Amino acid sequence: MSDDGAARLPRSERPPPIELRSMCKAFGPVVALRDVSLVGQAGSVHAITGENGAGKSTLMKLLAGVHAPDAGELRIDGRVVHLHSPAAARRAGISTVFQELTVLPNLTVAENLLLGREPTHLGWLGRGAMQAEARAVLARIGIELDPQRACGALSIGEQQMVEIAKGVSTDASVFIFDEPTAPLNRAEVDKLEALIGALKAQGKLIFYISHRLDEIFRLCDTVTVLKDGEWVATEPVSALSADTLITLMVGRPLQALFPPRAATPPGEAALDVRRLTPVAGDASASLLLRRGEIVGLGGLEGQGQREIMRALAGVLKAADCDIVRSARDARSAPFDPREGAVRVVQQGIGLIPEDRKLEGLYMDLSIADNIGLGVLRGLGLMRRARRDRALLERIAAQLQLRARDLSQDAGELSGGNQQKVMVGRWLAAGVDTLLIEQPTRGVDVGAKAEIYGLLREFVAQGGAVLVLSSDLLELIGLCDRILMVRGGRIVGDVPAASASEEALLALALADEPVAAKAAAI
Amino acid sequence: MTTNPPPAAAPAPSAARRALRWLFALPPAYLGTAVLLLLAAMLRPQLLSMFLLPLIARQAAPLGLAVIGQSLVMRARSIDLSSGGVIVAVSYILTSGYFPVSDAVAMAMCVGLGLCVGVLNGVLIVKARASSMIVTLAVAMILLGIVIALSQFRAPGDAPEFLRAFARQRWWGVPLPVLLWLAVLVPVALLLRSTVFGRYLDAVGANPQAAALSGIPYLRVIFVGHVASALVSVICGFILVGFVGKGSITLGQDLALNSLAAAILGGVNFGNGKGGMAGPAVAAFMLTFLFNFLTSLGLGEPGRLMLQGAIIAAAALAWSLNRGRTS
Amino acid sequence: MRSIRSGISVYTLGLPVLLVVVLGLAIPSFLAPQNLANVSGQITALLIVTLGQMVVALVAGIDLSVGSVISLASCLVATQADPLTGVALALLLGLAVGLVNGAGVALAGIHPLIMTLSTMTFLQGLAFLILPIPGGQIPPSLRELANGTLWGLPQPLLWCALCAGAVALLLHRTRLGLHLFAVGANAHSAQLNGVRTAGVVIAAYAVCSLLAVVSGIYLAARVAAGDPSMGAAFGLESVTAVALGGVQLTGGVGSIVGAITGALSLGLITNGINLFGVSPFLRGAFTGALLLVAVCVQRRRSVGL
Repeated sequence: MSDDGAARLPRSERPPPIELRSMCKAFGPVVALRDVSLVGQAGSVHAITGENGAGKSTLMKLLAGVHAPDAGELRIDGRVVHLHSPAAARRAGISTVFQELTVLPNLTVAENLLLGREPTHLGWLGRGAMQAEARAVLARIGIELDPQRACGALSIGEQQMVEIAKGVSTDASVFIFDEPTAPLNRAEVDKLEALIGALKAQGKLIFYISHRLDEIFRLCDTVTVLKDGEWVATEPVSALSADTLITLMVGRPLQALFPPRAATPPGEAALDVRRLTPVAGDASASLLLRRGEIVGLGGLEGQGQREIMRALAGVLKAADCDIVRSARDARSAPFDPREGAVRVVQQGIGLIPEDRKLEGLYMDLSIADNIGLGVLRGLGLMRRARRDRALLERIAAQLQLRARDLSQDAGELSGGNQQKVMVGRWLAAGVDTLLIEQPTRGVDVGAKAEIYGLLREFVAQGGAVLVLSSDLLELIGLCDRILMVRGGRIVGDVPAASASEEALLALALADEPVAAKAAAI
Repeated sequence: MTTNPPPAAAPAPSAARRALRWLFALPPAYLGTAVLLLLAAMLRPQLLSMFLLPLIARQAAPLGLAVIGQSLVMRARSIDLSSGGVIVAVSYILTSGYFPVSDAVAMAMCVGLGLCVGVLNGVLIVKARASSMIVTLAVAMILLGIVIALSQFRAPGDAPEFLRAFARQRWWGVPLPVLLWLAVLVPVALLLRSTVFGRYLDAVGANPQAAALSGIPYLRVIFVGHVASALVSVICGFILVGFVGKGSITLGQDLALNSLAAAILGGVNFGNGKGGMAGPAVAAFMLTFLFNFLTSLGLGEPGRLMLQGAIIAAAALAWSLNRGRTS
Repeated sequence: MRSIRSGISVYTLGLPVLLVVVLGLAIPSFLAPQNLANVSGQITALLIVTLGQMVVALVAGIDLSVGSVISLASCLVATQADPLTGVALALLLGLAVGLVNGAGVALAGIHPLIMTLSTMTFLQGLAFLILPIPGGQIPPSLRELANGTLWGLPQPLLWCALCAGAVALLLHRTRLGLHLFAVGANAHSAQLNGVRTAGVVIAAYAVCSLLAVVSGIYLAARVAAGDPSMGAAFGLESVTAVALGGVQLTGGVGSIVGAITGALSLGLITNGINLFGVSPFLRGAFTGALLLVAVCVQRRRSVGL
């Protein structure tokens, strides 16, 4: 589908292959993208970068046809286009390598490469043609894989290479790579980079989403920085340095959201994690969580922080652990979260998961029911369940809950109030340790401050809180100590009072030179 | 990530609108019963007589009991289709004289059987994580097969006199089976409302993942539900054996599917904890009345089966659409 | 090669072989040609239905209505004088049922067990309506197709070969076949790759119902009568056979060979029960127990329905 008039114009006067104007996208009350515009030029590698939650993946998913924008215009070769599905995006000449693998484990390499556009011969599947084309694609990219092998038998890195090969083998003019090198080894990364170089030489436009500064500086011509769903800057890479790039990614005005830290030093250990190996064969972590303190877990997405949290909560069965716990009114004793979440909760540790709708709240039950379930902790099944109205109202007041009344369905509340209800459930349960994932995801500013206040109050009364957050400013403002996680290991234990966003981000990023440089900041 | 300010609240709907919305939010059983009674009043008023109505209620008692058990497991997103097998086994134990024991001991054996079946179902569903529909159907098949095979040697005989009398008698004009139904319904409803188990059941039904993550022993809840359902099937067996007067290998075979239909019509859908126990009870009565009504209009077995199938599909479709709308 | 999605293991292949050996040694009459012809005739119907159930299992579904479809198909051909009309009607019916089942599952989001349970009940009623008691007249031309031999081979074998061949063509030589495996493994990923998942699921149920119709016509021709409860046991039996044949009920793994060995194993066990003189009424109990074992062996993450 080409516009012949445009193709006849000299290169410089042709409309850009991709132009995004004022793209907006919200998921419910959460705004993922606000008024983002950018232009991608043919024959260039265009990086899209930013912190977690900046909106990079959402922007690319709009291009890939997975979501439809709420507002804004997508122009392909100068013409306004609406993409209704991934198949439509493919037809429009956009090929995407998603961050999550979409190769199917029970199909062979050849079948995966050609899924959705299989060659047919008189209506029958052309297996011979499939083999030939698969071999050609693999050879072109320089991957040595047997097209007949099932993808389930390949390593993650090899599956990613198949994913990349799939994306590259279509006759597209725009290619999107979303964090492609995460599972790859050195040799595979080299192949990918050669591939991208070849595509660029053919005049294609490549969008490259990544955190890895070394890759951005090595591969890309232009970089667009997003922050909190908004466009910050689009600059040629040659005009930037690592420092200036990091500065563009971070650094927003610090709002007066955070309650003052505790004046008194923390008490004894609530959880002494001497060794925790969430996944067999992977790295182990060790950390110390003391009474009266809020400790943060930070890092780029997928570095193992979530596994650590969930292993401690007994939700993910850890491969190996050596943990000592002392509950509020008990002596210290060995603690094995592998016994399951029921035991962990009985011992006074509560998890507030990241996805409220799927894993946290009972959307169809009332606020009273949601909070009231906490009171039942440790009771036998046939015991009478007290409906302690006074307790519920006291907790609701403490939470500063904004709702019509306690019989309202939890699903009708705003994000901030929903989060408060989850905290309220554990307050009612009387636990002394809280594990919270992304405490203020999808929460408005006012409620954020209130939630921070709740957590501070909780530890002031002898509790301990472990917070997992991808928002560095939140960690700096809220926590007493911040542990940065990389590759499943704790790579930094920084007192929050003296931490800076740049230093933390540097600890979290991949490359040593940048980290060393930033640590000196 | 930042958030938009919440949208301005929509203007409050009129009282008539709210009343209508409330009406349609009710389980289909209530509206259905009202419509049905109206139609009966027009076409077959004798069904509403003081003579026949208690008989229909008595006939509904086994279904009403079965629905209680089915509701308990359905709320936990499981299902129990083994009642047919349990009832046939109960009828055989009580009437064949295979075991030369007194009636009381035979009844105790039936309770023991129900316990075993419930535990077997529960263990396979909770520990082996096998599909509850397949497990309970298979268990029913096993029980039915064993009973039929044994019946070749020793045919089922007469029901114990105690049960036959139980089915016949009335206290204060109300048939005893109906009183038994209420005697199980009321405590179970109270239990669900006021015990830890009831609250946990609400939670597990509303969001099993959240229940697991927040330390609720949801596996135990499902297990207990299945044991209770099997025990309730035993009671249904007692009543049915009393009705028919002798053992039979076709006893209670449609109870499982009917209890599924009645539960869905009564507002209890998979994981829905909102419907109380009243809805399914009304639905049990409604279905029994419906089948009597249609039989009096000339509907035979084929029509009944087709209707059953259509009702289950329609109810499942309605629930699916409703869920899609609110999510 | 493609063994990662065939589900065949030493056990699935070994079971029927073991059964043949054990039965052959234990019961002399097992290997008699009369018995073998009998067995093959009985297994044929189960095999054809199992092939259909396997196709649906590939997309993580299940079809309990196949039993009623078999019964209904037999009643239809037994009540139509012209064999062509009877067969055509039955096939149309199968297509309609499959489309309804598939639409309910893929478009309305109804759980396959509930959806097919409701169609099973409905169609059973319809079967009783069309033919209240076993009987009817099967046209002689149809009867000939199911019994006797053709070119020296027993007819039932040819039916099996034809159906197995058709399904094999579907699975291995068409785009739909490949898409079936893809959707079963991960419907979301398949969709991101441009596969029309809803259409694939609907097609799977349609194929299953059509095969059930074929099985029903075969059975009716074999016993020369229609019977509204003919297929009652086939629903759960086909699921048992499928599970015995290494097909994963969670989708994405299965094969023709697996379906055949599963049906063979189940059929041999049943035949063995008969030959041992065990009460035929215990057959249902045995199938139930086998189903329990087969279903418990397959690991699942979710609990309940």
